[in-house]
Amino acid sequence: MARIVGGVGCSHAPSIAHSFDRGLQNDPVWAPLYKGYEPAKAWLDKLKPDLIVAVYNDHMNRFFFDAYPTFALGVSDKHPQADEGWGKRDLPDLPGDAEFSWHLAQSLVEDEFDPTICQEMTVDHGILSILPLLTDNRWPAPLVPFAANVIQHPLPTPKRFFHLGQAIRRAVESYPKDLRVLVVATGGMSHQLHGDRFGFMNPDWDNEFLDLLEHDPQKLVNLRHHDYMERGGAESVEMIMWLAMRAALGEKVRRIHRHYYAPMLTGYGLIVFEGADA
Amino acid sequence: MTATYRGTPIAGTTVFTGARSRQGYRINKFAMSLTDPSKRDAFRADERGYMTSCGLTEAEMDLVAKRDWKGLVAAGGNIYVLIKVGGSVGQNLLQMGAQMRGQSFEEFMQSRPARQGAAIERKN
Ligand SMILES: [Fe+2]
Repeated sequence: MARIVGGVGCSHAPSIAHSFDRGLQNDPVWAPLYKGYEPAKAWLDKLKPDLIVAVYNDHMNRFFFDAYPTFALGVSDKHPQADEGWGKRDLPDLPGDAEFSWHLAQSLVEDEFDPTICQEMTVDHGILSILPLLTDNRWPAPLVPFAANVIQHPLPTPKRFFHLGQAIRRAVESYPKDLRVLVVATGGMSHQLHGDRFGFMNPDWDNEFLDLLEHDPQKLVNLRHHDYMERGGAESVEMIMWLAMRAALGEKVRRIHRHYYAPMLTGYGLIVFEGADA
Repeated sequence: MTATYRGTPIAGTTVFTGARSRQGYRINKFAMSLTDPSKRDAFRADERGYMTSCGLTEAEMDLVAKRDWKGLVAAGGNIYVLIKVGGSVGQNLLQMGAQMRGQSFEEFMQSRPARQGAAIERKN
């Protein structure tokens, strides 16, 4: 039987990808972010998961508003990188796991989650901005991308993401192979990228979110989108995806690592959990 | 600009609702098309011609010509696709944000924690 052996929540951002590609790891502005990832990287290196399930959102690189899926699951053995509008980065395609993905599809639909099933799924900075910070391997394990709509309202509720995480756990635990699975959820913490409030960040709220995610996630489940947008900026509503990762780990978690850094436009948060029963 | 979201305003915020997505559909479809390198080249070679082929209105094309990101958001543009337009014309998100705030790039950058020597870091 497969089981979940860990969870990572982290902010994704094009700026992270940009800093990585320009080699700014030791730049004074960027070094704290990269140092903050070191313990997570060491942990992942030891953990050696067999499979990664990633809950994230696409930023109009794979999907457009002509037909925008509320949930979408990539089910192929390979996920090429999307061109986001300024050329592809020097990274190899992500490996996938079609067999597990189709099992996940089956299990989720039986569990009353109905994602769009994608045999072609290019991935963008929602996954690729942070993966190179978590590992020096290209890549450490096959990855199953699960994309959510957190851009065009109406969005799935925070509670829906929590339930999604529980459903992912049931899917993992009903898979016959002995896979050790890492669940990753990405989504920028406080940031707003438009209007008069462009550049808004709220480190106090971001850190309260990290506290609650660990100890009392139901408080986060019970907030409205409006609360997230008001506290963290409109685009930060994507933080609700972290709830899927938290729920996938079970009721109690052991925190392995936590880091937060807000230098420019987005609160860069990172949290690493193991299930208390792991 | 303040818009209401389900009857409640959030200051300085335009929530990307279905109504906005409908309103900005042409702009956003044009912007999304720039994820294709050959279309970026076509746009750069002849901005107006390319936008005409995408069916943008004169008013929408004027907003792009003026690099008026604030105006494009007001017209239903979504920032995640507008940055593809920015990328094609050599403007990054920070520059676009300064324009939306009505500030110069330098003014805006001075407001950033990293520039103030006070980037917020917390470890616990
Ligand atoms: Fe995002």
